[in-house]
Amino acid sequence: MSAQRKRNFKIEAFKHRVDLDPKYAEKTWKVLEHAIHEIYNHNASGLSFEELYRNAYNMVLHKHGEKLYSGLVTTMTWHLKEISQSIEAVQGDLFLDELNRKWGEHTKALQMIRDILMYMDRTFITSSRKTPVYELGLNLWRDNIIRSSKIQDRQLNTILELIHKERTGEVINRGLMRNITKMLMDLGSSVYQEDFEKPFLDVSASFYSGESQQFIECCNCGEYLKKAERRLNEEMERVSQYLDTKTEPKITCVVEKEMIANHMKQLVHMENSGLVNMLVDDRYEDLIRMYNLFQRVTEGLRLIRDLMTSHLRETGKQLVTDPERFKDPVDFVQRLLNEKDKYDKIIAAAFNNDKSFQNALNSSFEYFINLNSRSPEFISLYVNDKLHKNLKGVSEEDVEIVLDKVMMLFRYLQEKDIFEKYYKQHLAKRLLSGKIVSDDAKRNLIVKLKTECGYQFTSKLEGMFTDMKTSQDTMQGFYASQGFEAGEGPTLVVQVLTTGSWPTQPSAACNLPAEILGVCDKFRAYYLGTHSGRRLTWQTNMGTADLKATFAKGQKHELNVSTYQMCILMLFNSVDRLSCKEIEQATAIPSQDLKRCLQSLACVLGKNVLRKVPMSKDIAEDDIFSINDKFMSKFFKIKIGTVTAQKESEPEKQETRQQVEEDRKPQIEAAIIRVMKARRVTGYNSIVMEVTKQLQPRFLPNPVVIKKRIEFLIEREFLERDEGDRKLYRYLA
Amino acid sequence: MHKLGRGHRDKVQQFMAITGSSEKAAVQALKASDWHLEGAFDIFYSQPHIRTVTDSRHLEELYNRYKDPYVDMILVDGITLLCNDLQVDPQDIVMLVVSWHMKAATMCEFSRQEFIGGLQYLGIDTIEKFRDKLSYMRSELKDEQKFREIYNFAFGWAKEKGQKSLALDTAIGMWQLLFAERHWPLVDHWCQFLQVRHNKAISRDTWSQLLEFAKTVDLQLSNYDEEGAWPYLIDEFVEYLTENGIVQRHQN
Repeated sequence: MSAQRKRNFKIEAFKHRVDLDPKYAEKTWKVLEHAIHEIYNHNASGLSFEELYRNAYNMVLHKHGEKLYSGLVTTMTWHLKEISQSIEAVQGDLFLDELNRKWGEHTKALQMIRDILMYMDRTFITSSRKTPVYELGLNLWRDNIIRSSKIQDRQLNTILELIHKERTGEVINRGLMRNITKMLMDLGSSVYQEDFEKPFLDVSASFYSGESQQFIECCNCGEYLKKAERRLNEEMERVSQYLDTKTEPKITCVVEKEMIANHMKQLVHMENSGLVNMLVDDRYEDLIRMYNLFQRVTEGLRLIRDLMTSHLRETGKQLVTDPERFKDPVDFVQRLLNEKDKYDKIIAAAFNNDKSFQNALNSSFEYFINLNSRSPEFISLYVNDKLHKNLKGVSEEDVEIVLDKVMMLFRYLQEKDIFEKYYKQHLAKRLLSGKIVSDDAKRNLIVKLKTECGYQFTSKLEGMFTDMKTSQDTMQGFYASQGFEAGEGPTLVVQVLTTGSWPTQPSAACNLPAEILGVCDKFRAYYLGTHSGRRLTWQTNMGTADLKATFAKGQKHELNVSTYQMCILMLFNSVDRLSCKEIEQATAIPSQDLKRCLQSLACVLGKNVLRKVPMSKDIAEDDIFSINDKFMSKFFKIKIGTVTAQKESEPEKQETRQQVEEDRKPQIEAAIIRVMKARRVTGYNSIVMEVTKQLQPRFLPNPVVIKKRIEFLIEREFLERDEGDRKLYRYLA
Repeated sequence: MHKLGRGHRDKVQQFMAITGSSEKAAVQALKASDWHLEGAFDIFYSQPHIRTVTDSRHLEELYNRYKDPYVDMILVDGITLLCNDLQVDPQDIVMLVVSWHMKAATMCEFSRQEFIGGLQYLGIDTIEKFRDKLSYMRSELKDEQKFREIYNFAFGWAKEKGQKSLALDTAIGMWQLLFAERHWPLVDHWCQFLQVRHNKAISRDTWSQLLEFAKTVDLQLSNYDEEGAWPYLIDEFVEYLTENGIVQRHQN
């Protein structure tokens, strides 16, 4: 091997020189062109797929892709123009049918053509960035048929007309519609939207605008809502049947706007059938419908809620400020409870337990309950009534339910401490009147109050119960120590009340009859013997007595009277007639109380054990009293209470309120101190805010009162003003 | 004094004994001289407005002139005599200023300490010097800061010993006096309002805050702020003024 000449061997591609007939391209194209024609003329069966594919392949290979493509465009366009004309020529109702049919044919043809020209699709088109065949076919259809001037409008109008017909109750060919809309969607979402959806929405808007106007003039609210709901459902069904799903939110929006949003206010305020009437009549079905429909619209629910709130406040206010209602506190509260029940039901059944509605309900109740400053008192009376009466035949659960409901009302009260005061008074009266009421029910309420308001609130109430219990034990001990004295002297039952737990009442001691005094002193001695260091004071204004009375004709009765009344009646054991003045002197009963007692003994039919001369209702100093010999009653036991005056008289009310105000002062001061201790230095506004928050479970403090207490504390040198900023207060340790 | 260290305290005592000055001046001078006695003396004597040295014997004589025969205090008679000597009306407000300088505890009486101490501070040991100082003292009322101090002092001074509040009549009298010096147009309405609506004693807080009120709130009450933590009496006063049309309030 000589390395003299190096020869580089080149390996070259084998050039296959194909002599292309210059007319080759033209010839091949003609074949393909012919094929396309045949396809469009439904003569495709005679064609050879393989041959056509090969032809197209060759053309592209030999760089005739451009010719092929442009030829395709031309040919298809020509055909489409033909088709367009034939569609235009169709008369009347068959227009859409024809359009649909031709579309079907076109797509089939397109598929075949695409298959044939697949090689071009994959190579020439990608490299030259032309539109692929199928898409090209669609675009050509769009431009030549759909957007052709003669067809475009007609198509749209026909579709819209059909929809309108359906809306007015006729049946239309939904299948056809589905195909047409599908065609539009296939052509591109912008085609669908511009050529159909937008005008559809516009037309629908004006249709519903007109219809809603019509309805609102002739229908009442409930009917209107039914119709609106129906239309809404219709549209949704329409979409699911033959429109694109994306249209659903748009068309529902249109219906909501036209039928609901535009007429919301009018509907809600409609006389005799609007929201207020629905609420009053408990029309749950209508309310549910309204809620569901209005939910779809912005501010819809707010409208309902606001109207409900203002209506509720109005009704509540009327309830609470109607002077007629004050005469029966129990009924007053019952009505409030009923109202609450009603709305609870409505919110649960119709408003889906919507929290915002609950809140509106709560705030309304809180608003109007506190409009009447006697609400706390009335609620206390109601509780009193429910626990006191009706315990026969009412199950514990029912009582429990009632108490829970009352607690709800109680929470709305701003002045809870007033409730406490009254409840104490009423409870005291009940406990001391010797009425045996279910302990459990009372205890239940106290437990609930404790959970709500804290221990301090209920400690006094519990103290009262404890006293009652202790007194029972004390009595047993007393009688045991006395030995059995049958029939000697009156039987004494004593309740020892711890001052501070019980509501204070000025005790004006009256002159007890001698028989009573004796046994009272024995008790006093016994008690102080076991409890030295305590002081006992007889509360003669709070006791009761059972008297055995024999009248002139031999009638025997047992009278249950108050201690005062007993003192009065016992006088007549020794004297026949007495003037009012004399009675007053003998018994030392305060004048006001005396008058009331005498009235109840002499002026009430069926209980007039005393006779009064003159026989007037009023008691004057010189009126003469004597035992009523002619007294008749079918009952053996007669209860002659003093006017049980459950509701307070005006001066008593003032007094109670004043006491409460006095009680509040130290509480406010304590709260202020707590706040200042924590914050050291702070401004007036934040003191007010914090103090109000702290006292919220008991009452709502008046800012002016808070200010006065602050100044009081400054005087007492618990606080001082900051030297630099006079608006700040500083805690003095 | 108790804030100073032992050594400093001694120096202050010494200084006071030698110069006859008040504790305040002594501390001032010593501080300025960095706690060197000699330097302090220089400063003290070179100051133009220094308290002049008072002769303690003269002061004793003065005190004895006015003091009550039975009690070691100057009482009403003594004060009347003093005012006579000064040719001043006992009701003259300058006596309030005098009492303020003396840090008198209660009106119509001066203790020995108060009288002598006060005069020493003022650099007075004769009646003539006292009389001369009166116009200076009157001028002190024009100073904002001093007026406020005097005003606040007046509360404690005018009230009964052992009471926390000032009786209404006395308060009104004092206000009339004080606001004659520093003019406040609403003072009469204020006094009237109190007599009609309040009729109880005045607390210290209300007293001091009233001056602030008079100083800061304009006569149309346009810059009165309800949230301004004014004492409730003042809030009520504003209400009273608006209710009775004395002031038209335009709510912003």
